[in-house]
Amino acid sequence: MKSNRSKILAILSLLVISLSNANGTKLSAEEINGTSGRPMHVHDRTSTPDSLSAFERRQLKYAQRWENLIPKYVKTQFAGGMGMLSFGTGWEYGKNDQWETDLLFGFIPKHSSKHTRATMTLKQNFTPWNLPIKNGFSFQPLSTGIYLNTVFGREFWSKNPDKYPKGYYWFSTRFRIHAFIGQRLCYNIPERHRHFCSSITAFYELSTCDLYVIQAVRNSYLRPRDYLRLSFGLKFNFF
Amino acid sequence: MGRNLLLSLTFICATFLCSCEMLEYHPYDVDISGERGVTYKNIDLIETATAGHTSIRFAMISDTQGYYDETLDAVMDINRQNVDFVVHGGDLSDYGMAREFMNQRDIFNKLTVPYVCVIGNHDCLATGRESYEAVFGPLNFAFTAGDVRFLCLNTNALEYDYSEPVPDFGFMERELKNMPAMVKKTIFLMHVKPYELVFNNNVAQAFEAYITEFPGVQFCLYGHEHKFQADDLFGDGVIYYQCPNIAKRQYLIFTINDDDTYRYEIKSF
Repeated sequence: MKSNRSKILAILSLLVISLSNANGTKLSAEEINGTSGRPMHVHDRTSTPDSLSAFERRQLKYAQRWENLIPKYVKTQFAGGMGMLSFGTGWEYGKNDQWETDLLFGFIPKHSSKHTRATMTLKQNFTPWNLPIKNGFSFQPLSTGIYLNTVFGREFWSKNPDKYPKGYYWFSTRFRIHAFIGQRLCYNIPERHRHFCSSITAFYELSTCDLYVIQAVRNSYLRPRDYLRLSFGLKFNFF
Repeated sequence: MGRNLLLSLTFICATFLCSCEMLEYHPYDVDISGERGVTYKNIDLIETATAGHTSIRFAMISDTQGYYDETLDAVMDINRQNVDFVVHGGDLSDYGMAREFMNQRDIFNKLTVPYVCVIGNHDCLATGRESYEAVFGPLNFAFTAGDVRFLCLNTNALEYDYSEPVPDFGFMERELKNMPAMVKKTIFLMHVKPYELVFNNNVAQAFEAYITEFPGVQFCLYGHEHKFQADDLFGDGVIYYQCPNIAKRQYLIFTINDDDTYRYEIKSF
């Protein structure tokens, strides 16, 4: 259990580091060390008055870097091997915000099992094109990416417990890697109607996971509906 | 503009083209669609069809995990044989995923005769045992075909960490005590044989002692090691037959005669 928790922490911290660099902010040793005990203000990132001292500018940059860590949206997804419903948040980056990283938490209902289970998903999306339609609607003809899902519970392991000879089962029951392709429809809310979010995006995805691919390759008996999985989702942008 | 509108229509169409079973919450979600409780239903069919028979003929397949094409071919081949029923030596799934059990069930349901499956070590992984229980039924069960009692046992001790008795001597004792009067012979079906790593080898001798208590023990059947084998494991005359995995494109047919003899064939397909 302990090693799994530290792995998750490591993944999260990697994510944080990559995001803090994503908006083109160069970290220098000077900047990192240039923090002091003064209370912090969140400044407008576009205007940096010349009147600021070098220290204040440094302070400002520091605040801006942390600002990048503010999640840009919330997302909810139905099915897709990450639980019945997943909720989470994430970050957009890249020139046209074509890259997206989500952290989602979901649950698997009991059904014929003894327990309801929790899952966590780290998802990387790539949405290269955004085609405007009209009235604020736009269409994203392709969104694709991969996600890593982990399911919580003692019956799942990431590698063989010690009771087995080394390599007895080659796979992990805890972690699944999924790949997906899908499409999105986006509605950009007119500014005067914005209350909680700036845009709403609906999407669907077709996905499959590592173990399904292995079985699909080996068996002509399996049809696409046996190894492809459908999911739906909504994304609400704050920014 | 019009083209983009058309594109977005594909968005809506594509979502409706997909079938419901593609909405899966998780590969380990024990969400079973289709037939459940297969074991008890098929036991009823076997017992009814073979009632009063003094000779029976059955096929054994095993370790069909992940090989759906070969399993389907085996099912079609068995359908051409004149057998009363089919027994499966366990490992229906490779990873314990719910869909694997349902796929295998759907293939076995193409058999023209009833079948039963014991649980294998791979079937115990993650939520596998819960899926097995939902689709097939209990982990230890018994039935009577003609005058032969079949004891089907969970012997995957390594997967249980002493949380449950494996093998379940309590079950075997109850079976001994409540043996139906017409039973003259006994056959045992398990996934893992004694002295294999997954078996609880501390009780291998005790297990054999229980086995030899049963009336007219014919032999024991198992799978797991993916090859044919016939051994007198304990030197007491009880032969343990191993059924090859389905990837070998082989299965076994046993004929239990009314004159206290039996015959087995290795079928290739």
